[in-house]
Amino acid sequence: MHEGSITIRLATDLREIERLNEMVRRFGKLHEIPMRSLYALDLALDEVVTNTILHGFEQPDGHELSVRVGVAGGELHGELVDEGREFNPLTVPPPNLDAPLRERRVGGLGMHLVRTLMDRLDYRREGSKNVLTLVKRIC
Amino acid sequence: MQIHEDQQGDVQIFALAGQLDTSTAAAFESRLLGKIEAGERRMLIDCAGLRYVNSAGLKVMLLAAKRLDAAKGKLVLCALTPSVLMIFEMIGFNNIMQIVPTREEALRLFRGEETPA
Repeated sequence: MHEGSITIRLATDLREIERLNEMVRRFGKLHEIPMRSLYALDLALDEVVTNTILHGFEQPDGHELSVRVGVAGGELHGELVDEGREFNPLTVPPPNLDAPLRERRVGGLGMHLVRTLMDRLDYRREGSKNVLTLVKRIC
Repeated sequence: MQIHEDQQGDVQIFALAGQLDTSTAAAFESRLLGKIEAGERRMLIDCAGLRYVNSAGLKVMLLAAKRLDAAKGKLVLCALTPSVLMIFEMIGFNNIMQIVPTREEALRLFRGEETPA
């Protein structure tokens, strides 16, 4: 496994997520990151970027966000920075996991996956930016 | 994502290949729900070729499961890869949907020859 990082700039367009997935996987291959850890970060980034694009802007068109993916010290990091309205995706309420099928709600699934897949999550507001950090310990 | 449709008796089979994500979920949803609206009640989603699913895809599965349940139908998923199965288990879908390892077992469930574990 090799240390290093890349930064990907995305337009706030859901179609960009495919490109994000490709770049994360390519990074994983180059840095020889174990599949399971990479898969977790890939999916978690997909979910948080989707949430930000859908809910983070009054008007989603014409904005940009950046995703930094790095590996260091046995940990895989993802960092999402955007200049949308103050929005902490970690406050999205969890889904009703124990409910029977008829009562299961569709909301909150994505963020629940993020919370379960990642080992550490951090949100902070820096001036006009949302900064979301995701950390996966590599095993 | 490719969706290959097939039929065995009155069981509609959807074999998925590729990624079920934000860009492909809507098309899958309209195919699935379209069949349900057309009166189909027994559906099998074969996930052998599914290598990635995100919450957009999971929502489609949940909607289909709810619709079929409400219509007294039956939905079974088979052949999930370990990564995809892990995701389904994380959100508890294994408790509200029938998930079996192979297509053969799934078809046996539809024929009523086997009760799920």
